[in-house]
Amino acid sequence: MNLPGNLFKSALLAFAIFWFIIISEDGIDSDTLLLMFLSCIPIFLMVTIVIIGSICPVFWLASKEHTNKQDIFKTYFPYYAIIASSACVFGIYASNNELIAFFSSAFITTCQSWVWFAKEKNE
Amino acid sequence: MKHISILIASFLFSLLFFDKSIGLNLSIFSIITIVFLGFYNLKAFKNLRIRFYTLAYIITAIFVFVQHSGLSIIANCIAFFTLVGAISEQNTSIYINWLNGMFTTIAAFFYKYISGNSSEEKVDWKKNIDILHLAKLIGIPLVFIIVFVLLYKNGNPVFNDLINTISFDFINFQWVLFTILGYYLFSNISKPVQIEPITSQDKQITDKLYKSEHFSEVQLKKEKQLGTTLLGLLNLLILLYIATDVTYLMTTNATTGTELSSQVHNGINTLIASILIAIVIILYFFRGNLNFYSENKILKNLTYVWIILNVSLIGLIAIKNQNYIALYGLTYKRIGVYVYILLTCVGLITTFLKVLNIKNMVYLFRINTQIAFILLIVFSTINWDHTITKYNLNTAQNFDISYLINLSNRNAVLLYEQKDNIIASHEHKKRIDTKYWSYVEDVVQNEWQEYSYETFVISKKHPNSETK
Repeated sequence: MNLPGNLFKSALLAFAIFWFIIISEDGIDSDTLLLMFLSCIPIFLMVTIVIIGSICPVFWLASKEHTNKQDIFKTYFPYYAIIASSACVFGIYASNNELIAFFSSAFITTCQSWVWFAKEKNE
Repeated sequence: MKHISILIASFLFSLLFFDKSIGLNLSIFSIITIVFLGFYNLKAFKNLRIRFYTLAYIITAIFVFVQHSGLSIIANCIAFFTLVGAISEQNTSIYINWLNGMFTTIAAFFYKYISGNSSEEKVDWKKNIDILHLAKLIGIPLVFIIVFVLLYKNGNPVFNDLINTISFDFINFQWVLFTILGYYLFSNISKPVQIEPITSQDKQITDKLYKSEHFSEVQLKKEKQLGTTLLGLLNLLILLYIATDVTYLMTTNATTGTELSSQVHNGINTLIASILIAIVIILYFFRGNLNFYSENKILKNLTYVWIILNVSLIGLIAIKNQNYIALYGLTYKRIGVYVYILLTCVGLITTFLKVLNIKNMVYLFRINTQIAFILLIVFSTINWDHTITKYNLNTAQNFDISYLINLSNRNAVLLYEQKDNIIASHEHKKRIDTKYWSYVEDVVQNEWQEYSYETFVISKKHPNSETK
């Protein structure tokens, strides 16, 4: 599994989605720019924790039964997507729509991360 | 052609929902969804089951407009998932339809990418355009230009003034994002996907129970003896309980709220435990070969009697609940007791049918989830706040006016109309007035997407109020 490459691409995607949603709401100025730079670290940390904590274990555990990564994706991704989307919708609702950018970027990034893992060549 | 229709649908999605609360928009969205699904999956709509789910979806859409309640919105969403899931595969259980429908709506885009449903289109695209390169070509310079513009802005006042004259206010980025969400949604449901292997596994499982090859008659005889003894004794016990309960109901004249509440709640707790254990016991004994054992008639008859006696227990709880309601009025919790009683009754009847027709556990799950879906749609057609208020004001001997005022706005009109006929304090009547007029104010400010049936009723009553 190309974990570092996946983490880097996912962090970049999460960063782009997160800030695109925030900028579309509040606009952009030089203060926002500073915050954007600073946010790179927590975004990367969050992405790393979520991917290593929730996606990688599925691939590690399922690789005993399935040799093909696409099979793992087809078998387990649907349940992951349903649970992740439910958690994100609940998060958005519980935060009174304050955390839309965070949860939207989290959902899209994790789904895309699954796709990147599944597209890797089988070892 | 596909992209054009999805684009049109996504623009309509934005027009209906962007910055709006739920109302007529959800009903119109349901119609658009049906047309859209029909456009891409016309063959599927020849299936009777799909037609039934479409009808259910239309009914919930109508009642979102008529009742405008949280329950009707939930029913509409579940009907949407059911229809989308059923289009992905017609011959599966309803809970598999829900899973497929939810997954299709949420993440089919990612799944199609890997499973290669859209591989033909991708090949054509890739032949003509290198998407990744195009994204880099636009994205990277754009990001750096924005960064440097923001940096240079602080360094030079003339440049700052020049940049400030550029305005993108005419573009609503939030609207653009919302339209992208609409595009994503319609792109997902255009060709519903199936979760495997659960869908194909569910298709293969029938409702029938089959005799297994290992058939030990001695073992079955022992099991039958155990079952007959257990169910025989349980029948005697429940008979005794029902007899004492009937005596209690006929001799005791409970009139205080605490007494009646305690009767109902204790009864419900007993009922929950009793029915669950009853169903588990029945399912245990009729899980396999005992269904085909020639000497199982006594056990079967005892099971039927046990089920009938449990239904009688439900009847007693219903009487207690009705006494409570007649004296102290309807509330959501008391309606909840009735709903629970109904569901339990359904559970017992389906267990009875399972034993009678020699069906398996999957049959029970399938039929009970189907009935739950139908009941949800039926319940969503009722304006519960209005029903509770009407019953309490006109029929109940006592009621809590604060409880009625604290219900949602869907009883505001009825409360306002009847406020002069009820005995209530000046403060309560003032609260009823405030509730009604703030509701009228809300309703008349609604945009056309947020309209409900009550908007027209209010507008007719107050023609001078300005609607948008």
